[in-house]
Amino acid sequence: MESFFIRYRNLLVLLAILLAQIVGLAVQVRHTDSGRNTLDPQDGPGVRLIRMWANDAVSPPERLFHSSRLGTVWLWQNYIDLRHTEQQNQDLQKTIDRLRLEQAALLEDAKQGQRLQALVGFQQKYIYQTVAAQAIGSSGSDQSRLFYIDKGADYKLERDMAVITPDGIVGKVREVFPHSAQVLEINDQTSGAGVILATTRIRGTLRGNAIGQPQIVGILADQRIQPGEVVLTAGGDMIFPRGLPVGVVEKVVRDPDRDAFIDVIVKPAAHLDRLDEVLVITSTDARFSPQQQQDLATSEALKGSEAAAILEKKKASEIMAERLPGLTDPNAPAPVPAQPGQPQPTPVTPPAPKLLPAVHPDRFSPGIAPQPPTDKPDQDQSAPDKPTSEAPKKPAQKTAPRTPTHPQRNP
Amino acid sequence: MPTMGGNPRRNMEIRRYPVLVYALVPLAALVLQAWLPRALRGYAWFDLPLVVTVYFALGRRSPIQGTLMGAAMGLFEDALTQHAIGINGIAKTIVGFLAASVGIRIDVENHTIRLALNFLLSLLSSAIYVFVYRMLLGLNLKWSWIVEIIKAVDNSLIAMVVFPFLDRLQIRE
Repeated sequence: MESFFIRYRNLLVLLAILLAQIVGLAVQVRHTDSGRNTLDPQDGPGVRLIRMWANDAVSPPERLFHSSRLGTVWLWQNYIDLRHTEQQNQDLQKTIDRLRLEQAALLEDAKQGQRLQALVGFQQKYIYQTVAAQAIGSSGSDQSRLFYIDKGADYKLERDMAVITPDGIVGKVREVFPHSAQVLEINDQTSGAGVILATTRIRGTLRGNAIGQPQIVGILADQRIQPGEVVLTAGGDMIFPRGLPVGVVEKVVRDPDRDAFIDVIVKPAAHLDRLDEVLVITSTDARFSPQQQQDLATSEALKGSEAAAILEKKKASEIMAERLPGLTDPNAPAPVPAQPGQPQPTPVTPPAPKLLPAVHPDRFSPGIAPQPPTDKPDQDQSAPDKPTSEAPKKPAQKTAPRTPTHPQRNP
Repeated sequence: MPTMGGNPRRNMEIRRYPVLVYALVPLAALVLQAWLPRALRGYAWFDLPLVVTVYFALGRRSPIQGTLMGAAMGLFEDALTQHAIGINGIAKTIVGFLAASVGIRIDVENHTIRLALNFLLSLLSSAIYVFVYRMLLGLNLKWSWIVEIIKAVDNSLIAMVVFPFLDRLQIRE
């Protein structure tokens, strides 16, 4: 008997280790009511402990590598590569100003939307609070599209929190450790996000395929879906707030498993392969955050100053118009305010100064323009309230003939 | 294929390394496997833990040590993913065992044989992974063999660089 164990000890050790792992696997898989096997969505205590050990062993060197790389990039970008920075700053400032104005314009729609939602008993959730985190490592497997961030339970992160960038959604928090967390990307095969196509309003579930492309699955073949259509979050998965950008449709392919269905390959809006910093949405609410309110107030103020600037410009143009020759008569008597009980005086058209006839008259030449479209000589006098400065201009704009209809008035 | 006659186990050299090498090289492989895909913008079609497992299994020529190292590396890799712990563990356990068993019978000093072994064992590891995932666990997994072939080629190329470097770390008597 002893010689048997010695002779086959290699094989016995192999079988023992394999058996132990198979038993471990069996514990982690569940059989659902639908007859399919799935992995337990929440790790058991033992599995979680192993994951935590592995993370504790790998995270510190990863943080070191990541910090070194960031430090080098920071030095290069902030002290060496500063060409065109001033110009970029100015461009960005202009962009911010423009976006603030646009935001102020959209604010009215948002407020109206909130009021309407309150009426129908539906509450739109807004991103209320986020935590910025650095991506420090990955799973290291092409079959597992997840990465690690440098914030964990110490920043009150929790499972199933949405992870985004300013470009679009990235994924969701899968597991939280004391000082780090796992983020499952939207292009993983086991992920899932509710999305909607912006134009056709077709809803579906987004998940990854074998080569890491996000695709919308479970859609009946539809000719209306075209490449380039924008994909947004639908908000029904209770993870991503509604309306966040997901990407654009890249192409539509037939579902290899089901004939009547198609897979819509999506080009993600966020650069999933180049993630350095992400935002974890730690809370959503039906109201704007203080930061958002501050931004909106700034936008409103900017909008007010913009309106004042436009008004100032208008005044300046009026002053200029008053000073132009022939448009007003400086010697004309000031208009007498109407007395009650007295008939309205007939306004007097100021005499036009004599100008030399134009050699090549066009519709801007003085003396040609005041031609009404009909043969009513008193038409201009029928609008006595109009300012006199506009009187010569208005007929010129309205009746400027490309070909003269009254040859006797041509010079 | 160059093989050793008589009792091969007695005639072939068993490589020995400082204890720190046994601890740090696998750890470095695991850390780099987790970090490099981010630095390489998502490119993860390589398997450094597999390369290190094959190297030590071939050099040590001990099936038990190869099995244990493969199991440890695979379980560690699984722990960093969201998949069940043990899928990579089973694949690399078998790979470690086979590499050590082959190392007993053939001359693994030849670089061509090393590269060929790396290529074949990479494909075998992928096949076992698919088998465990789909057949044993009955889970759904989309698969691309082209990706696995590319990964096997990458592993061979990495082995071409890493093996000579690790050879320098062994204890010479």
